[in-house]
Amino acid sequence: MRLIIVWVILRKELTETLRDRRTLMRLLLIPVLLYPLFAIAVSKLQSSDAEARADKASHVAVWGELPAALKTKLEASGKLQLLPWEGAPASVKSAVEAGSITPAVPPPEVPLDEKTLEKGSKTKIALDWTEPENPVLDAARALIEKRAVDAVLVPWPGLVASLDRGAEGPISIYFDSVRADSSLARERLGDSLDRARKDLLLERETTRGLPRGFTRAVSILPRNVAPPSRRIGQILGSMMPMMLIMMSLLGGFLPAVDLTAGEKERGTMQTLLCAPLRPIEIITGKFLAVFAISLLTALANVVSMSFTLGRILPGEGPVSPSIYVLTFALLIPVSFLFSALFLALAVFARDFKDGQNVLMPVYLPITLLTGLTALPGIELDAWTAFAPILNIALLIKALFLGEARADLVLLALGSSALYAALALLLAARVFEREHVLLGGKDTIKALFGLSRRSGGEPSAAFSITAFGTVFVLFFYGSLLLERFGPVTSLLLTQYGFFLAPAAGIVVLFGFSSRETLALRLPSPRGALAAIVLGLSAWAVAIGLLLRLVPVPESIARGLGDLLLLGGKPFILVFLVFAVTPAICEELLFRGLLFSGLRKLGPAAAVVISALLFGLAHASVYRLLPTAFLGGVIGLTRLRTRSILPGMIIHALNNGLALALLYYSPPWAGDLLARGTLPWGLTLGGCAVFAVGLALLPRKQAEAITPAGRATAP
Amino acid sequence: MTDTLAAAPVLVAEGLVKHFEGVAAVNGLSLTVHAGEVLGLLGPNGAGKTTTLRMLAGILPPTAGRVTLNGVDIRERPLEAKARIGFLSGDTQLYQRLTPREVLAYFGRLYSMDEARLAARIEALVHDLEMASFAGRPCATLSAGQKQRANIARAFLHEPDLLILDEPTTALDVLSGRFIVEAIRGRRAAGKAILFSTHIMSEAEYLCDRITLLHEGRAVDTGTLAELLLHTGAANLTDAFLHHVEKSRGEAAS
Repeated sequence: MRLIIVWVILRKELTETLRDRRTLMRLLLIPVLLYPLFAIAVSKLQSSDAEARADKASHVAVWGELPAALKTKLEASGKLQLLPWEGAPASVKSAVEAGSITPAVPPPEVPLDEKTLEKGSKTKIALDWTEPENPVLDAARALIEKRAVDAVLVPWPGLVASLDRGAEGPISIYFDSVRADSSLARERLGDSLDRARKDLLLERETTRGLPRGFTRAVSILPRNVAPPSRRIGQILGSMMPMMLIMMSLLGGFLPAVDLTAGEKERGTMQTLLCAPLRPIEIITGKFLAVFAISLLTALANVVSMSFTLGRILPGEGPVSPSIYVLTFALLIPVSFLFSALFLALAVFARDFKDGQNVLMPVYLPITLLTGLTALPGIELDAWTAFAPILNIALLIKALFLGEARADLVLLALGSSALYAALALLLAARVFEREHVLLGGKDTIKALFGLSRRSGGEPSAAFSITAFGTVFVLFFYGSLLLERFGPVTSLLLTQYGFFLAPAAGIVVLFGFSSRETLALRLPSPRGALAAIVLGLSAWAVAIGLLLRLVPVPESIARGLGDLLLLGGKPFILVFLVFAVTPAICEELLFRGLLFSGLRKLGPAAAVVISALLFGLAHASVYRLLPTAFLGGVIGLTRLRTRSILPGMIIHALNNGLALALLYYSPPWAGDLLARGTLPWGLTLGGCAVFAVGLALLPRKQAEAITPAGRATAP
Repeated sequence: MTDTLAAAPVLVAEGLVKHFEGVAAVNGLSLTVHAGEVLGLLGPNGAGKTTTLRMLAGILPPTAGRVTLNGVDIRERPLEAKARIGFLSGDTQLYQRLTPREVLAYFGRLYSMDEARLAARIEALVHDLEMASFAGRPCATLSAGQKQRANIARAFLHEPDLLILDEPTTALDVLSGRFIVEAIRGRRAAGKAILFSTHIMSEAEYLCDRITLLHEGRAVDTGTLAELLLHTGAANLTDAFLHHVEKSRGEAAS
């Protein structure tokens, strides 16, 4: 790929796009107007709604006889209109009066959920306990659903007598928590009844000569501790990710269609294809242009949003500028992913109009995914961190709430980068198929290259796509397998999600398994080098790399406890945690993935496979050592032309760590407790490691066997 | 005429076949274009002209067959071969919001021309093709004739050895069409090889040194105008062409 050509294309596409007034409108004017208008509309709506409701009296049906004092107190507020026997069916009325229905009382061990009652939550049902179905409940529900009244109050027969006696009497309030009017009526009834109850208690204390507070014993003072910034965060966090992501994508949507389907429609695509250009140069230039416009839109939106929030929420716990910077940073992978995906799909369209039809089915799921973030209870966790778009939307939400966690950030960004790379590969693949660019059709099978090869090795794009697919499956699979306990789930994931797919893909697509997986015996010198490297790599990793990023003790200890399998024989521990990963992970990372990556050059193969190996361990603390180990093994496969030495290094490296943990020799006490290695041992280990590197065969890397042509046309 | 045929072949196509979803659009076509020669590709709509020219320009891979440009295989070394081809089709538009000068500069850079040579070439073309009055205006505001002049300047820009022109005068009025045809004759005089497709018989008669008659993806006859008339005993090119169409119908029926 010639960067100068990519730059020429990028510059031309940007010039042309930015000369379009409609693009500029979309880019700048919409965000500048959208956020202030949105903010004003929301605050107006909310306040006017609340005001209107506050002015209106609640209509409450009273099914039964209220003590006169209580009735006066309820009516005193002026906001409660009591309607005796309103809407009560005759059968219910007579049954209540006759006392043939008694109030359903929650079991004493399940008290009312005070917390949710205090918050007056409108979305959650306030009671854990639900009243069993009965005629009174049914009648009240029907009446409230009809909106004939806002709530139904049932002072059960005998209430008056009980209160006169100085005993307890039940009153039921029937309301609908989902209806704002009904919730308000319940709040008002609750408040008034609470006040009435307090007066009654006071009166009783006085008449019986008891000390004040005798009957109350403990006064509970609930206070909302959420800081103001967090409360704003909650509002912003639930709304803003959606708006920001939708707007940034909209920024890339039309340019993507214009630069592909639009150019096809105008016949200029053909002219471009006639020029001496590689398809990858064309797609890269166009992709960068779409990506740049999408990013510009994102920037305009973030800036407009920050100004709007600064204006409408002055003094209310300001949102730190760094939050906006981070929010913009998170929009980068999202824009990248969709710029690539939009481009890849828009190519299939014949003209501009068709392009919009093609992209709509992609746009709608994004709307739904980002809309999910507005729902309470959907938060960034191990499951959602791998869901494209949703993970970034949730990450932005977490950012506004101030609760983003480092490991989940890594997962979300890592998986987003993976999806973005896959989308770009798809786009590049589409652009390789020239007749699609001229308006021809193509089958999905041909596009994804799903037809069988005869021998040879996979391409880089194939390997990365296969690896990405396997890895996402592995990720969700391992979450599902967690319930089977650590050992079973480890074995199942290793054999089921690494070994089986790696071998399966090679066989299924007809690649040469010997070449792709490097299944050949190494030279004795190569094997010796592997043993030396396997015995010393950990010293370099721990002695040098972990000094840079120390592992928190709790994590190190937790991992150690897990690995010991509660005192099973060492050979078993070794087989499960050293030999199994050595075989399974190597076949995937240094087998299938590595042979495709070699087409990008030996250095790229070692570095990319090492980075993916490090990232796959999904831990910030293990990233550096595992990537280092992956690099060493990659180099070994390159030099020895075999996968076996890598397996030896992997097994020895894991095995040594396990042996240290298992036998805990006294000299390793410091190492195990604090994860530090004395300088003497570090330097000794590095020296042995250098010997191992020197022992690696010098001869040039294995030749790449090109994949045979697809057997199907 | 004979001395142009003696010149080295610029474009050689052998046994070109193109199938679309199993249907043959081009079926075993071979042709050669020499330096300083205009070869006309003549045929009705759907004869396979555009598909053939796209394969020759290296933008559509043939199902079978081989194309070489000055001996360079276009599938094996596409960048090298494409750098020597100038392509223009009648329905090609320009970038609406760029000016002709910007379009030319863009393509010059894509063809890796150095800036000094590019600037000189643009000035020369603007002068030769009489584009000075509109070369600085956005392409969206140009007339069809002006657009096609800018387009042909784009095809001539990198001084290609071979020009592939797919019905370049379609949708032009007589005057603009004639201007383009004269420009093409100018390139022939400069020793370039030209492949020219049209369904306008008079244009072919005026411009082409040799003509290949294309019908249903096959070359039914090739030769100079005189040879074609001699082969069929027809009085003009239209009759010669109809003669072949009737003949192939008769063969298909028997």
